[in-house]
This record gives sequence, structure tokens and C-alpha cells, in this order.
Amino acid sequence: MAIGVRALVGTRWGLFVLWGLDDRRGWRVDGPMLDGWGVYHATVDARDGTVYAAANHIVYGPTVQRSADGGKTWKRSKKIRLPQWSGLTVNATWHIEPGLPQQPGTLYLGADPGLLFRSDDAGETWEPNRSILEDPTRDRWVPGRGGVLCDSIQLDPGEPLRMYICITSVGTLRTDDGGQTWLLVNKNVATEYLPVLYPETGQCVHKLLLHPARPERLWQQNHCGVYRSDNCGNSWVRLDENGLPSGFGFPIMIDPKDPDKAFVIPERSHEYHYGTNRRLAVYGTRDAGQTWGEMSDGLPQQSWATVLREASASDADSLYFGTQNGSFFALAEGETWVEAARNLPPIMSVEVTQWSG
Amino acid sequence: MVRVVVSSIVAAQADGRQRFDVEAETVGEALRALPVADLLLDERGEWSRNLWVYVDETDARERGGPACPLAGAHEIRIVAALSGG
Repeated sequence: MAIGVRALVGTRWGLFVLWGLDDRRGWRVDGPMLDGWGVYHATVDARDGTVYAAANHIVYGPTVQRSADGGKTWKRSKKIRLPQWSGLTVNATWHIEPGLPQQPGTLYLGADPGLLFRSDDAGETWEPNRSILEDPTRDRWVPGRGGVLCDSIQLDPGEPLRMYICITSVGTLRTDDGGQTWLLVNKNVATEYLPVLYPETGQCVHKLLLHPARPERLWQQNHCGVYRSDNCGNSWVRLDENGLPSGFGFPIMIDPKDPDKAFVIPERSHEYHYGTNRRLAVYGTRDAGQTWGEMSDGLPQQSWATVLREASASDADSLYFGTQNGSFFALAEGETWVEAARNLPPIMSVEVTQWSG
Repeated sequence: MVRVVVSSIVAAQADGRQRFDVEAETVGEALRALPVADLLLDERGEWSRNLWVYVDETDARERGGPACPLAGAHEIRIVAALSGG
């Protein structure tokens, strides 16, 4: 029986599935599914194997697609609507997070403009979180270039009522009561683009991850640095002056076995969206961010390729990311990057699961 | 009865079906009768500015948009206007 990894690779023009062997060196590409749709994120619900995709089209709008047969057939969610009184419409769907194992049928959806939805019927219908929708500061949320994205949703496996979301230009928010109330948790996170360096809100989080084995530990790649929190976001420590060539970047990866390991792909700056020294390079830490080292064996020596916030993933054995010029890389045997596919459409998202067959 | 013709990407969301025969008095009513209505109409029942809806080769926007009457019409053609490059 073969064992390997299945990567769901969302692109500007559909969803591709990459099947990798256990050594992460041999790969097969299937797709595209959802041809013509921008797949901003796709994930497998580990509870039942259903594949969910945040699918968007410039004309036909945003939706969530789901497949119970590995992508052969798809069902579309009912129109994802907001109450008329809100005066808002959903601009895009960005991130789908399946609920905890003890919450069958529950999923969360992050969307633009600054929206969190919940489904309790396995993605058929979605209800907006009212506290986020009615936030009194909403009229001051400033869209970034991509909009007001809610693209990070992290659930605490040990505290079912605790959840984190990130909204660009707002920052990280935590709920401890299942989404009824939210707390801004941005202490010590910089906003170098605002007159005040450490405001309560206004932070631009690019990606936030919770460590599953130590859920009080969070990592974030921010517009203004890389940060770690060891107290559920109550305070943050900036880490990018410890060997990283730049604090700017979009994705972040963690090692599910080791809470002290994290990996980022720095870009030169917010004005220059390509790697420092015009190279595509991954930097990793093994000591919780005290030091960082480059891991570029196998990556192109000169490249302007960029990696978006959802376009990286990790599992217990490897790291994965996809670039805006359509290359997908996997780390083989912990040291060498293998270009598993190239010339795909611009890659928006990557998620991985194990497969056997 | 009027025939509605949709693009291939929309047809893919309707089990590959590209043509639908519907009974309707207005364009909005005809589009709402389709299994892909949620892709064509927003919360207000209007279609995207990047979508062109022709009733027998006449732009339906010039005749009231969703309220455009269908009396005597044979075909509604829905075209996505995408450009760039």
C-alpha cells in the first residue's frame, strides 16, 4: 500500500490536486477542478473527508463549493447573504475552517469585507457572526490592496469556545465564548504605516497559526514583522530581528510536532513584493524565533516569485508552498526543495493531507 | 416560453446544461427561475456590471434591467464581459 501526501492547490483558475509519494520527490498533478473559478482556499474536512473550496469569480461572485467524492462532483452553498440592513455584500470568500471533532457539520468561513460566517449544516448555508458584522468600529476598517480580508481562523482544540480570527487592517481578535464577544489581542504588534506604532487595533496580520500541541502558542506573519505569543495572544514578541532578512512576508508554516519551529518566506518590503536579494528563500527557526536560518537548497537562485498568505502548508514530515508564477515546492527529507509542479496558474492556497491507497 | 442561454462556466454549475426554457414575464423572473440564479443575481435581484443580458440581441439594461418585459421574446443570452491582458 502506498502512503503519501495529497495537496489541494487553489489557483486563480481552478483547483488542482497534487499527489506526492512518501519521499515527497515523485508527484502527479490532477485538475483543474472548478475550472475557471478562483479558489482562494480549499481544505479537507478531516471529520468526513469532504473537500471545501472558497471559490470566487469576478462576474459570478463568491461562494463555497463542496465535494464528498474527492472532487468528482461539487455542490454550491446557498447564496451567502448578509442582512439587508447591513448595507454590505460579500465580496469574496477567503478561508474555510472545519469545526472541532465534537462539532460535526460545523464550519467557519472568513470573507471580505471583514466577515466571519458559521455553518451548522456542513456548508449548505452560512450565517454571519453578528458581533463581527455589527462591530461599531467597522466604518473605520481600511481595506488593504486585497480588501478587508478575514483569512485566518484558528480553533483551540482544548477550549471549544475559544477561537481566533484575523482581519486585515483590524488585527487579531479572540473569542472565549464561542463568538458572542471578541477581544482585540494586538499588544506589542506594530503598525509602522500609522501615526501610532502600537494601537489597540489597525494591525495588518497576513497569516496567523495556532500550534495544535500547545494551543496557547500563536505565530503570526504580519505586515510589520514576525511575532509569537505564548499567552493566547494577550501579548506578542517580535522575532524578525534575529536573522531574518526582512520582517515583511505573507505565509507562515509551523511544525505540528515541535512548537518551537516556524518557517517564513520573507519579501524585501511592502513596496517590493519579491524575495530579499531577488531570491525565493525560506527561513526557519528551531528555537521559537531566537534565531533564523535559510533553507533554500533546491529553490531557484534568482527569482521574483512570491507566495501568498494561504499558499503554504505543513505536516509532520514536510513543508509545502506554491508561488504566484505557478510552481509548487515540497521539502524532501527535511533539507531539499523539490519543484513538484510548474506552470500552474497563479497559486492562491495550499493545504495537505495524508493519503494511502 | 423563453429560452435562456448561459455561458459554459455557468453551465458547469448546472450539470452541464446550457439552455433552459422558462415561463416568465420579465428578465428578472426568468433568471430567478434558473438553478444558477444565485450566480447571476445579487441580493437586490440585479446582475453584475460585468454581465451582459441580451433579449433577442437587445441589451436588457436599456429596457429596465431585471424589469425588462419578455412579451414576444424568444431568447435571453447571458454573456460575461471580461477583458484585460
